[in-house]
Amino acid sequence: MTETTKPYDSTLGAALLLLPTLVVLVVFLYYPALLTFRLSLFQTLLLGTERAFVGLENYVGLLGSGAYHGSFLISVAFAATVVLGTLVVSLFVAYLLFQVEVGESTYLVAAIWPYALPTAVAGTVLLFLLHPTLGIITHYVEALTGVELDWFTSGPLAFLVVALSAVWKQLGYNIVFLVAALNNVPTTLTESAKLDGVGHLRLLRRVYLPLISPTLVFLVVVNTIYAFFGAFPLVDLMTSGGPSGATNLLIFKLYRDAFEFSSLGSAAAQSVVLFVVVALLMWVQLRVSDRYMHYGA
Amino acid sequence: MATETDRRSGASTAVSFPDVSGGQLLVHGGLVLSIFLMGLPLLLALVMSTQTTTEVYQVTNLQIGSDGLSNYETALSTYNLGQYMVNSFVMAAVIVVGKVALSLLAALALVYYEFPYERAVFVFVLLTLLLPVPVRIVPLFQLMADLGWANTLLAITGPYIASATAVFLFRQHFRTIPSSLVENARLDGVGPLTFLVRVLIPMSRGMIAGVAVITFVYAWNQYLWPLIVISDQSKQVVQVGIRFLQGASQSGLTQWGLIMAGAVIALLPPLAVLIALHRPLLETFSLQQK
Repeated sequence: MTETTKPYDSTLGAALLLLPTLVVLVVFLYYPALLTFRLSLFQTLLLGTERAFVGLENYVGLLGSGAYHGSFLISVAFAATVVLGTLVVSLFVAYLLFQVEVGESTYLVAAIWPYALPTAVAGTVLLFLLHPTLGIITHYVEALTGVELDWFTSGPLAFLVVALSAVWKQLGYNIVFLVAALNNVPTTLTESAKLDGVGHLRLLRRVYLPLISPTLVFLVVVNTIYAFFGAFPLVDLMTSGGPSGATNLLIFKLYRDAFEFSSLGSAAAQSVVLFVVVALLMWVQLRVSDRYMHYGA
Repeated sequence: MATETDRRSGASTAVSFPDVSGGQLLVHGGLVLSIFLMGLPLLLALVMSTQTTTEVYQVTNLQIGSDGLSNYETALSTYNLGQYMVNSFVMAAVIVVGKVALSLLAALALVYYEFPYERAVFVFVLLTLLLPVPVRIVPLFQLMADLGWANTLLAITGPYIASATAVFLFRQHFRTIPSSLVENARLDGVGPLTFLVRVLIPMSRGMIAGVAVITFVYAWNQYLWPLIVISDQSKQVVQVGIRFLQGASQSGLTQWGLIMAGAVIALLPPLAVLIALHRPLLETFSLQQK
């Protein structure tokens, strides 16, 4: 559509149509976000009733805090685990869906349902099924492997259990996008590769993965954002950040510092750090989607 | 993997027949197994949700329990999950309707109006993707208190009814609507709102359904924000309501059957919406990628 075919030219009309959206975005998104930056320069006293300007002290405090460093590293490791786990499993299922000749749409609906799975439900169900003493899955895994899965006391195990729950929830969304991306690969490419007798794993690595890389980057970003922000209910319901901080993700620490300990200034500084994380991720996605634009439909 | 069979069938003939070979059998087997494993926790939760606490504590007991649906009744009534479900439905409905309506109006302006700084306005809307709730959570909480919105429906819906994603998707979709239709509307002197209702909305049914599903699933999944801003338990949403169930115990034993029933209840609405509307949802996702 070219510019000249726009049927309406009333600036006032456009402003009125945009007004509700812009008001909501300004009042509930931009304005509180700006206040976050401001608040991060203050220290709150007496449960937030008094404030003192402290400059960058909250940030300096975070830089020097061992607990914050730990939480940051755990969040990064958690994101990496969730991204890798989700993509490997989703890619496996999506590739099967792409290969199957009969019943693809039925299988697809059956495979994408975790998209509708609320995170709190995923956490609650797995908290019970993987429970160290009552969990039936734990029971059989322990019986088969002989390893004791006491993740209420083992930090690394708790980390893995929470990550597993996040992966379970993310599978649906990832499979949808990967199947769509695989279906967009020109069939001529795959036909010739198949005639040459290239195996599936090599086909995936040499042909498909490079061609669907824009989708992969998009999903890395989406899953990372989920791991940083969306995994909150998992930690809150399953581990409360423990044992000894092993699952104390940044978002959980922020929540506690703000709403349990009322350190609003420090919490605001933590929000700003999270903003930087989102901004970096979005920047990566923009850069990559620009570079790979020619693969788009 | 199925390399061997594929190679044979591919090389033997240039015409490709439907492959009922071992390769396809493996693919079907792999899919059935993967889907089974993904659904297994849910199946187990369903079974356990029918068991009494004593049965649940017999870890490997996988029989349908003797409690039948009574855990569901108890969760809904005694533990107030029925009220939380109603609260979640109202919240999700307000967010879906509000977001779709506001975003349709904004997209109408962005695509069909000639006005200054159009690009800048669009970028201004898109940049809010950088501001998820955790980035503004403390001031937003204080803002709600200042507005007197704490513990109200307004607090858990207001901040969510405008959206960069929905505006973006409707804008993309409107741009694919044939310009001849737009031209007709112009020649007939149709006003913008009539144009929206008579032409754009009927031509965007699938997209509206898709955005509605995405929004419903997203709204239903909200946890952190209601947890903070709703302190009056009777006004809480069902995802946080599950948290209250965790305290349910009977003579010192956690009532996991009851908790599983609560989890199943809290999952059903978005699952039903996804199954009913998966077609428009998938189409909407495919537009999001472009």
